[in-house]
Amino acid sequence: MAAATTPISSKFSDVDEYGFKRPENFDYKAYEQFMSNYLKTLAKRRKRWEEILEENVDLSNINSKLKRYIRKGIPGPFRPDVWMRISGAYKLQAKSPDLYRSLLNAPHEKEISDSISIDLPRTFPDNIFFETKKDSLYNILIAYAHHNRDVGYCQGLNYIAGLLLIVTEDEEKSFWLLKHMVENIVPQYHTKNMANLLRDMAVFKEMVIRRVPAVNKHIENLGLPYAVIASKWFICVFAEVLPAETVLRIWDCVFSEGYKIVFRVALTMFKTHKSAILAADDIGALANFFREVLIHDEIVTDCHTFMQKVFELRLKRSELESLRKVCVGRNNT
Amino acid sequence: MATTPRSGGSAGGGTAQRPNGTSQSKSCQFKLVLLGESAVGKSSLVLRFVKGQFHEYQESTIGAAFLTQTICIEDTVVKFEIWDTAGQERYHSLAPMYYRGAQAAIVVYDIQNQDSFQRAKTWVKELHKQASPNIVIALAGNKADLSNIRVVEYEEAKQYAEENGLLFMETSAKTGMNVNDIFMAIAKKLPKNDGANNQGAGAGRRLNENENNRQTTNCCK
Ligand SMILES: Nc1nc2c(ncn2[C@@H]2O[C@H](COP(=O)(O)OP(=O)(O)OP(=O)(O)O)[C@@H](O)[C@H]2O)c(=O)[nH]1
Ligand SMILES: [Mg+2]
Repeated sequence: MAAATTPISSKFSDVDEYGFKRPENFDYKAYEQFMSNYLKTLAKRRKRWEEILEENVDLSNINSKLKRYIRKGIPGPFRPDVWMRISGAYKLQAKSPDLYRSLLNAPHEKEISDSISIDLPRTFPDNIFFETKKDSLYNILIAYAHHNRDVGYCQGLNYIAGLLLIVTEDEEKSFWLLKHMVENIVPQYHTKNMANLLRDMAVFKEMVIRRVPAVNKHIENLGLPYAVIASKWFICVFAEVLPAETVLRIWDCVFSEGYKIVFRVALTMFKTHKSAILAADDIGALANFFREVLIHDEIVTDCHTFMQKVFELRLKRSELESLRKVCVGRNNT
Repeated sequence: MATTPRSGGSAGGGTAQRPNGTSQSKSCQFKLVLLGESAVGKSSLVLRFVKGQFHEYQESTIGAAFLTQTICIEDTVVKFEIWDTAGQERYHSLAPMYYRGAQAAIVVYDIQNQDSFQRAKTWVKELHKQASPNIVIALAGNKADLSNIRVVEYEEAKQYAEENGLLFMETSAKTGMNVNDIFMAIAKKLPKNDGANNQGAGAGRRLNENENNRQTTNCCK
């Protein structure tokens, strides 16, 4: 089936194309098979996107054709620019072109700067490209913490900003995309009381009860809180949770379609792993499964099939919104 | 994945839940929570205890993590259900969910960081007020391998611990110093008469070792 050799050997080294080390039990064979098709898909997609970008349309107006294209994945080289355009971050930046620099030049609070500094060596320590990016990461985080005082520095933002930096290779773009993510996609997840995070975890649980009740029952019987399973998924919007390529495919859609995607992905994780979750027979095995197994198994590594599954789910914004009203104020999920 | 050899049955695998030759061995299960400021080494202590490993750049815990480890003291098999929490202040609102119903807590500070010691004291107060009244609390002064640049004196912490009825040890997740010992000391102090510890979610649950948690303590040799 899969070709034994491939033209791009780096893709199959123990480091992925974004510099992240692959997990020890990584299934290279399954990956090779997946990539033999995915590379073709990527090439095709790239041509399509070249055409779109040549037309030079306003990408902040997302029509159904554009949405469809984005769901199939934005080609790597175009990502920084397309993300900036579809999210509206370019427009914001154009309104305050000096903001980022002035935030960097203003005096910084020691407490914030200390807590960011502690996390720098703890961010992607195994990523081979990231060592040289620590100063830039510091700049993005310190600027954002002083820009949005309600958020300040929240652990987890280092992973979002770090991945943005790897993709865009541009501090300032990363700053604006981070701002968009934190304020428009998942607002009040990272603020000091994390109110919306707690609410949305409760919403997520309700959705699991509706969609995969057996899974919820099993998790409840074993006594593992959803907060242990999924806090990081929501806080980091899957950065540092799923394999990088999968996260980027998710973010493509997050930037064009918004928070709904986060729920879609989280639910898909539960649905696609239903039998494995049910097979975990004590709380330790279950926690281990969520912490170490499902986050880099073949299902999530095959980002293309995974994203198709994400969009097979039926999920309406109205359902989420009405659940949110019910779940406000809960903090024991 | 979740179906590798289990030690619960009579087959007597490598993990010896019920050591051969011991006519009656009790088994207990305890809920233990780790609290303390960010970066003091909570996750590192757990990683050392559960897997015998240390990561120079341990990633910060987002939310909380759950692991298990089983040890033996005398003829009793003690299974710890460990809740490792996130240290950053804003995660505080999630903490009660983890210490509620806990039978034991390790409050961790970093011996090079005075603020983290103050924060540890606040945690102790909160536990005394909010947690179950007979919770066993241990205070861990971590990063003891860096004792040449310490700012929190051993005597000061020891005295504080004594005054507040806490177990106390200086530990190093890096070298492993006192890591198993602090869990052992807690296990010794916990009541192990059958049933007594089974309050809450633990009641009647089978004990079967999570195959991924390599045994690192010399359990029931
Ligand atoms: N020298 C030394 N370093 C340690 C020790 N324990 C932990 N560290 C380091 O301290 C840093 C923080 O350790 P963590 O275990 O992540 O700390 P934590 O308390 O879990 O932090 P949060 O998850 O953010 O609350 C890491 O870089 C560890 O490698 C120790 O005993 N000695
Ligand atoms: Mg931790």
